[in-house]
Amino acid sequence: MKAARRSPGEVLPLLAIWVPVLVSILYVVGFTLYTVWIAFTPSTLLPEYGWVGLKNYVAILHTRNWNIAAANIVVYSVCFLALTTFLGLLLAVLLDQKLRGENVFRTIFLYPLAVSFVVTGVVWGWLLNPGIGIQKVVVGLGWTDFRFDWLVDRDRALYCIVLAGAWQASGFAMALFLAGLRSVDADLMKAAQIDGAGPLRTYRRVVLPTIWPIFIAVFVILLQFAIKTFDLAVALTGGGPGISTVLPSMVVYDFMFQRGLLGRGSAAAVLQLLMLVAVLVPYGVFRRWQTLKAARNA
Amino acid sequence: MNPISRRSLLAASGAAVISQSAPRLARAAGKPRVTVITQWSAGSDGAAITALGELFTKAGGDWQHNPVPGFTTDMMNKLRAQILSGDPPAVSQLKGPEIAAWSKIAPTVNLDADVAAAGYEKVVAPELIKLHKPFGHWISLPLQVYRINSIWISKKAADKVGVTALPKTWAEYNAIGEKMAKAGIQPVANGGTKWDNGMIWEIALSGISPAAYRKAVMELDAATLKGPEVLAAFEQTRKMSLWMDPNTASQHYSTFIPKFMKGDAGMLLMGGWVQGVYKKAGYQYSDYMTGPAPQDNGKPAFDLNADAFIFWQRKEPEFTAGQHLLAKLVMEKDTQKMYSGITGSLPVRTDMDLSDPTFSDAQREASASLAAAVKADQSVLSLAHNMAQPNQITAAMIDSLVEFVTDHSISPKKGQERLAEAVDNVR
Repeated sequence: MKAARRSPGEVLPLLAIWVPVLVSILYVVGFTLYTVWIAFTPSTLLPEYGWVGLKNYVAILHTRNWNIAAANIVVYSVCFLALTTFLGLLLAVLLDQKLRGENVFRTIFLYPLAVSFVVTGVVWGWLLNPGIGIQKVVVGLGWTDFRFDWLVDRDRALYCIVLAGAWQASGFAMALFLAGLRSVDADLMKAAQIDGAGPLRTYRRVVLPTIWPIFIAVFVILLQFAIKTFDLAVALTGGGPGISTVLPSMVVYDFMFQRGLLGRGSAAAVLQLLMLVAVLVPYGVFRRWQTLKAARNA
Repeated sequence: MNPISRRSLLAASGAAVISQSAPRLARAAGKPRVTVITQWSAGSDGAAITALGELFTKAGGDWQHNPVPGFTTDMMNKLRAQILSGDPPAVSQLKGPEIAAWSKIAPTVNLDADVAAAGYEKVVAPELIKLHKPFGHWISLPLQVYRINSIWISKKAADKVGVTALPKTWAEYNAIGEKMAKAGIQPVANGGTKWDNGMIWEIALSGISPAAYRKAVMELDAATLKGPEVLAAFEQTRKMSLWMDPNTASQHYSTFIPKFMKGDAGMLLMGGWVQGVYKKAGYQYSDYMTGPAPQDNGKPAFDLNADAFIFWQRKEPEFTAGQHLLAKLVMEKDTQKMYSGITGSLPVRTDMDLSDPTFSDAQREASASLAAAVKADQSVLSLAHNMAQPNQITAAMIDSLVEFVTDHSISPKKGQERLAEAVDNVR
């Protein structure tokens, strides 16, 4: 066996890979299991190790906060996904036109991603506040009838979070789409052009269908962004007006840390995890089906 | 990587470990010592706690303050982590019924002898004694007090509508509000945070009947929660919510202080700390009028908010000595004068002479009203500031109040039902 006498040059890469992997597994899997367990205990301020069955889940599912949050996350995820994908694709297609200064634009569009969610939330909170933001400026300019008060409207405040979220994430979607667009075979584009397809038709019928796996990737990544949205909403609306824009992650934080009910907060966290699982498992099955199909065709 | 540089790296990290533990060894001399966790790091709160630390050091102690800036919950998370790891701070900030709740999860220090020696129990509001002596023993000490039910009227707004005196009852308050609304002034100045909305209702109820407040909010008495006084508080709150700035969103009330001072907003219901905020923003005492919020039964009432220290048991004798030294200092008149002088709060002691120029007339009036309210048995504990109930009950009640304030389609009757329901769910 050579393994007993490996040179440092051989051991180092193994260390570099396995130590972080083991630590991540311990952290992610270990603490997930711990949270699942706590959700079945009567824990309040500190973890306690009794057993209360599904009591915490029943209690959480009966709160107004959770029910509002669950409805909100569906609306938010769908809108956020649609808007971000649309904007990201639009930017990518525009950047794909071999413009001069593409790098500059790409950097500008990607930049919001470098800003923390809290900063995004605070800044958009000012911009969207009718009393100090856009509305005030436009009214001050003379359009006295101008109204843009979604942030203080119970039924529309959620869409403000969508707007700010899309602003932040569409650059990321753009980068993925752009990579996809660049990977499309140039011959395919040329063939379409020779056949007389205009640019719009080329994209719609030739380019986009070839990069559809990118769409799936973007959807999945954005969806898990959406489901764990927390700081953005806290900084932007604080869950308000009232509790009309609370999201599941805020309910988790509220119960665990503000109310000091670790068991209930953990139950909410597990429910949130189940939402992610509901999205990711079908995706995993789909991927598996695809590889199987590809293997059969080969 | 070559072996030599790795060895030197190890040596360097070893040296770093040793140099860090060196001061710890030097400290084992037995000087009274405390480790303190609070959220007070900046502004007047930070300045006050630093001054307290200096006082402690001057008295021969070793003061180690680890502020956890941000929300109170962040401070509590650190406290929880330290308790779990068996290394609680000697002293930490904690307030209200959380003192009793947290004292069940880790042993605390019995301060009965210190309190008795200082004759302190006679000069503290009875409501505060209950909180800081939860199971028959003093384990924590209040540090400073604020009156929640204070009203602040913009001088410019008052001049515009010819108001010269503070409203004594809610009827007078509403009359002024209508006058202001007619003159194009937004009658209620407010922020959009949850506690801000909840506090408006709290001030309304304590101003209508402190006795009903005590039963409904502090004792969660079902009949009172569904009774006429609570309904009247909801009606008053609805009236005020229609007079609020619709555009506050989740902004802090201090964002709108310039608007208030300009006279575009008229009346602010807010605890005494706002005075420090005015001062910092460059406004003068003559820019506003202040006093107790409306009180329908005519006797002085005091809605209490108090910050406090809880003392956690440690085995080391130098910690025990430090804890008793700090307890003695916190109860002293001079310390309280110094502390409240910096933060703009009120001293905990009801027997203080506030004629000193470090205090303002507003502080003197509020402090006198604490003593008077205690005498009239009208001192109550704040809901929105986590004094009346443990956090999970407070959060459930505040959520339903915030929904009521921001959603004008909820009738006062319906709001009252929802509050009673929220209480039943967490009881």
